[in-house]
Amino acid sequence: MTDNMQNIYLWIVLAPLIGAIIAGLFGHKVGRAGAHWVTIIGVAISCVLSIYVFKHINIDGGATFNGSIYTWMVVDGLRLEVGFLVDQLTSMMMVVVTFVSLMVHIYTIGYMKEDPGYQRFFSYISLFTFSMLMLIMANNFMQLFFGWEAVGLVSYLLIGFWYTRDTAIYANMKAFLVNRVGDFGFLLGIAGVLMYFGSLDYATVFAGVGEVNGQTMEIIPGSQWSVMTVICISLFIGAMGKSAQVPLHVWLPDSMEGPTPISALIHAATMVTAGIFMVTRMSPLFEFSETALSFVLVIGAITALFMGFLGLVQNDIKRVVAYSTLSQLGYMTVALGASAYAAGVFHLMTHAFFKALLFLGAGSVIIAMHHEQDMRKMGGLRKYMPFTWITSLVGSLALIGAPFFAGFYSKDSIILAVQKSQLAGSSFAYFAVLAGVFITALYSFRMYFLVFHGKERMDEHTREHLHETDKVVWVPLVLLAIPSVVIGAIFVGDMAFGDFFGKAIFVLPEHDVLGQLSKDFFHGWFSMGLHAFVPGPAWLAAAGVGVAWFLYMKRPDIPEWFEQKLSFVHKVLVNKYYADKFNEVFFAAGSVGIGKALWKFGDEKLIDGLVVNGSAKAVGYVSSVVRHVQTGYLYHYAFAMIIGLIVLMGLFVL
Amino acid sequence: MGFENIVFYVFAGIMVFSALMVITVKNPVQAALFLVLTFFSCAAIWMLLEAEFLAIALVLVYVGAVMVLFLFVVMMLDINVARMRAAFMQYLPIGIAVLVTMAVMMFMVVNQIHIDAPGRAAANYNNTRELGLVLYTVYVYPFEIAAVILLVAIIAAIALTLRRRPNTKHQNPDLQIAVKRDDRIRMVKMDTEEKK
Amino acid sequence: MTATLLTNLHLATPEIFILSMASIILVVDLFLTENNRYITYLLSQFTLVVAFLLTLNLFSGDTFYIFSQTFVSDPMSSILKLGVYFATFVTFLYSKDYLIQRNIFSGEYFVLGLFAVLGMMIMISASSFLTLYLGLELLSLCLYAMVALQRDSSVASESAMKYFVLGAIASGMLLYGMSMLYGVTGSLDIQIVSQQLGAVTNKTILAFGLVFIIVGVAFKLGAVPFHMWVPDVYQGSPTAVTIFIATAPKIAAFAMLMRLLVGGLLEIHAQWQGILIILAVSSMAIGNIVAIAQTNIKRMLAYSTISHIGFLMLGVLSGTAEGFAASMFYTLTYVLMSMASFGAVIIMSRKGFEADKLDDYKGLNQRSPWLALMMLFIMFSMAGVPPFVGFWAKLSVLKAVVSADLLWLAIVAVVFSIIGAFYYLRIIKLMYFDKAEVSEPIECAIDLRWVFSLNAGLILLIGLMPESLLALCKQVVMS
Repeated sequence: MTDNMQNIYLWIVLAPLIGAIIAGLFGHKVGRAGAHWVTIIGVAISCVLSIYVFKHINIDGGATFNGSIYTWMVVDGLRLEVGFLVDQLTSMMMVVVTFVSLMVHIYTIGYMKEDPGYQRFFSYISLFTFSMLMLIMANNFMQLFFGWEAVGLVSYLLIGFWYTRDTAIYANMKAFLVNRVGDFGFLLGIAGVLMYFGSLDYATVFAGVGEVNGQTMEIIPGSQWSVMTVICISLFIGAMGKSAQVPLHVWLPDSMEGPTPISALIHAATMVTAGIFMVTRMSPLFEFSETALSFVLVIGAITALFMGFLGLVQNDIKRVVAYSTLSQLGYMTVALGASAYAAGVFHLMTHAFFKALLFLGAGSVIIAMHHEQDMRKMGGLRKYMPFTWITSLVGSLALIGAPFFAGFYSKDSIILAVQKSQLAGSSFAYFAVLAGVFITALYSFRMYFLVFHGKERMDEHTREHLHETDKVVWVPLVLLAIPSVVIGAIFVGDMAFGDFFGKAIFVLPEHDVLGQLSKDFFHGWFSMGLHAFVPGPAWLAAAGVGVAWFLYMKRPDIPEWFEQKLSFVHKVLVNKYYADKFNEVFFAAGSVGIGKALWKFGDEKLIDGLVVNGSAKAVGYVSSVVRHVQTGYLYHYAFAMIIGLIVLMGLFVL
Repeated sequence: MGFENIVFYVFAGIMVFSALMVITVKNPVQAALFLVLTFFSCAAIWMLLEAEFLAIALVLVYVGAVMVLFLFVVMMLDINVARMRAAFMQYLPIGIAVLVTMAVMMFMVVNQIHIDAPGRAAANYNNTRELGLVLYTVYVYPFEIAAVILLVAIIAAIALTLRRRPNTKHQNPDLQIAVKRDDRIRMVKMDTEEKK
Repeated sequence: MTATLLTNLHLATPEIFILSMASIILVVDLFLTENNRYITYLLSQFTLVVAFLLTLNLFSGDTFYIFSQTFVSDPMSSILKLGVYFATFVTFLYSKDYLIQRNIFSGEYFVLGLFAVLGMMIMISASSFLTLYLGLELLSLCLYAMVALQRDSSVASESAMKYFVLGAIASGMLLYGMSMLYGVTGSLDIQIVSQQLGAVTNKTILAFGLVFIIVGVAFKLGAVPFHMWVPDVYQGSPTAVTIFIATAPKIAAFAMLMRLLVGGLLEIHAQWQGILIILAVSSMAIGNIVAIAQTNIKRMLAYSTISHIGFLMLGVLSGTAEGFAASMFYTLTYVLMSMASFGAVIIMSRKGFEADKLDDYKGLNQRSPWLALMMLFIMFSMAGVPPFVGFWAKLSVLKAVVSADLLWLAIVAVVFSIIGAFYYLRIIKLMYFDKAEVSEPIECAIDLRWVFSLNAGLILLIGLMPESLLALCKQVVMS
């Protein structure tokens, strides 16, 4: 049975890879249809198998799998291998990743219909699926890091997909650099693990926590730091880069330069969850460092609240969704910080569905509007695009946490968990997530009203051509809308409050907020839904919707008035808290300055002049001189041999 | 310093001298003859070591056969002596320097060694017989390899020298004998022509 | 007497088989017309395959001595012989079309090649100075003749001449060194020599003989300053011969190094380590630096060989079993890479045209993306870029050097390999970033295409899973 399962796991990973290779390397041979068939079949295989695995492990209670497939090398007792760890957490992630990816593949057929890079795009997204699966199925840090970097690479490629656009190139560079900062932390964390645990294998590392816990290290002479804290925070810095937490969030909004909204979806709904997943997977480590947990909690809270504000002032439909993603990622991070890993992952899952829905909905709108993305030029679309309208409404309701929708269950679990948490910073976090609910509702429905209701602000030409998009575009929307409604209710009992993840997630008894909640509070999904009508977050959401309706439908002059009167606040928001500016002035200009100085002196004079060109010149010179020793005369050669003999004799005999 | 030593030094002296002459004389025929002399003195020294068979083989094979063949070749080829020696003087000083260094070094090393002379063999000791015994038993494997080397040498020599030039003229007796009348004569019938 | 002579004779069946077949092929070839010459080729390949199976069948973990201790059969000899058969087999495959196109598709090439294989086998299985020397001579003689095989080419004759004269000098030195050791220890048997060494009080004389022996070996390997023949011979020979010289004999030379220095003279490791360090460093330096200035790819690969030889010696000079295993791994994988690189030259060439200029590789990617990709593999591997096999080879010898407390040497080696990366990468640059001067696609036979792909693919494959081969080398060297 295990062999059988091992083969299944292998195929889950390899099917998208094979698709990617065929579409990428033989794209011209197989043609456009060939490329999309081969990749879709590959991803479909892995999706079906993932669902089977999910059933096997999570529903039938089959054994979890942990084993290595292939040993790459052994260096000084350290084994570098490729292996799979498939447990409840992994199998759930596999289903999410492959399902969303499959939807993206199908949707791409319609969205990229006229793009010359059609095959290339399919190759990229299949490759992405492969990398992401490698990441989540890893049973060791080395493979985790491989997957981590591979998704980073594909994301770079996707953001810069339209490589002739300056903004795309700028954005992918930015994403790459910011992620590099995070990866640096991540790598340090892995190095720390290797140094103190002596292994990269999850099982070995987690088993060794007892020994390492309590050890300290001295980074700056004189101050002792807990090893666990340093490792956990380093790892989390990696997660901050990939999951776009403040202050490493700046790349994500710009990543919308990629072909809308498919790559955006990959960034927003799938790849960014890698950080959340990683922290959850590392729960046996994080649990032993309260400092690190507090750090996670606060960062998450800041992201959840302040990124929400930014959504309010954006006019680009994609960017609104992007900022909402940032804010929701903040929620997940908060859950991790509060040791409510299960709730975080639960939100990750529900979010993947409704955010995918929102992105694809936005994409559908953009197609219909002939690639116009400014919401100020839309309005009243509900008449023209009924499917998109309804599904977007569902998505928005799920996002703001309307009772009985998917987002409600996951988000409320997080809020309740934070309320229970005793960690430092938890009261701030509680405030932030509560306020976040209101803000979320406000910007989501601002977008919804601006796009689907109100006056039709587009030009004549566009209006004439407005119609519902193709079937390949709206069918995935409908398919995604269903889980966006029901998935929360189905899984809330098991996943957030039950024992769904088994041993995959480790929580210390004193941190176990979800355990307490399930005892004190949770009595089934329906009562939880009803409970929302007792004063609580749901009312905040409703208020948000009401305010949005009032401000943007009834009295559009009020926001304008706000803009003028509170121009300072507005300006701060529009400029995204000047984070980019700060980076530009401080880091970019600073490093450009240092770089220039180093370039002028260090590089051009010292390195280029002396070391590189100098050594190259020296090598070239020596080379051309020595070359002449090879005269071609036999007696010169013989003579060289004799000289060599004499030298060796002189050195070693006498 | 007994008689043996005197014999040794005389032949060794001749050998070194003639070897030197091999590489310095202008005329290749003379050089070949000096080489014969070198071999000859070498054979004498071997004889002194009671290696009669080897000594005789050296004279018979090298002096008698190889060198004679070599002389034939040298005499048939027209080697431009002057051109070959053009660079000789130019390289002489450095050559001598290397030579001296080498000789000094070797002397310093070899001087340290003392290898005991093997004991005298009994009167009825037969060098040839003993050689034959080990050659076909203990050393049969190297002996076989040596045979293969000779075979390869033959193959190589033939492969490198045997060439069929397309325009060489040679007879084919086989065809000559098998020739028939019809091959040579063609009967032509034609009408008489009127002289114009 | 006969009883002891013939015991375990079956251990020499591969040698006996090759010898018989080579002689048979020699005779059979006489009766073949030009059009049936391919029979010689097929017979030769058949011989190699059967020899491969015979040797594989004899493989065991034990060591046997036969022919009065002049022949040894141990795991290392079996593995190296298998390597020789494989390399020769592939070489013949690569060479066939090349030889036909240049009208030198003669039986002699294959017969001499088989005799050369026999010579290498004798060297690999030698346990006496005498057999080692004779094997070396047999091999060398075949190679000299093969270089000169293309008689219309004056360059080939010239390089054959150089090779021959220099080789004779080196052989003389080797013999002189052996006779010194014989004088001191009183035996030609490598085992006995190694036992006697401890008793020798005068180490100078040992070192004296040692220097001469190492010079002989270094010449065969092509280590600086005994390397002068390598570029001229590589460039001057027909590529089909170059590829032969550049591959299998390296395995034999490695065996010679192991038999002499490790099997016989491990006692005076301290002395030969110093000599090998000098040879290794100068080989890496000269090889890598001079290669940069070359415009002819065969010549460039010749210098690259020299630098690889320097690397190969690093493992041996460390004096540990780990180091020997690393060197063995390096040798085998280097042969694999070398084979592929010259194979590429053969594939690029066609009748009347030798693709031996670097400029001929310009824009190869446009003409044949497949060939360019394979070439990319080879060059990356040669430069030591992971995950190709060249990386592991370099890594393992460097590890051996570091664990022998010669950190500085490892650093020097790395510096030179970085310099070396330049000229490997230049080829990649030429192939991918320069415009092709001629646009016609490359044509080559289907079997050639397959062999070449497999060859280059192996470089990647072993690079991905180097463990088994490394472990095999280790296990073999230990016994």
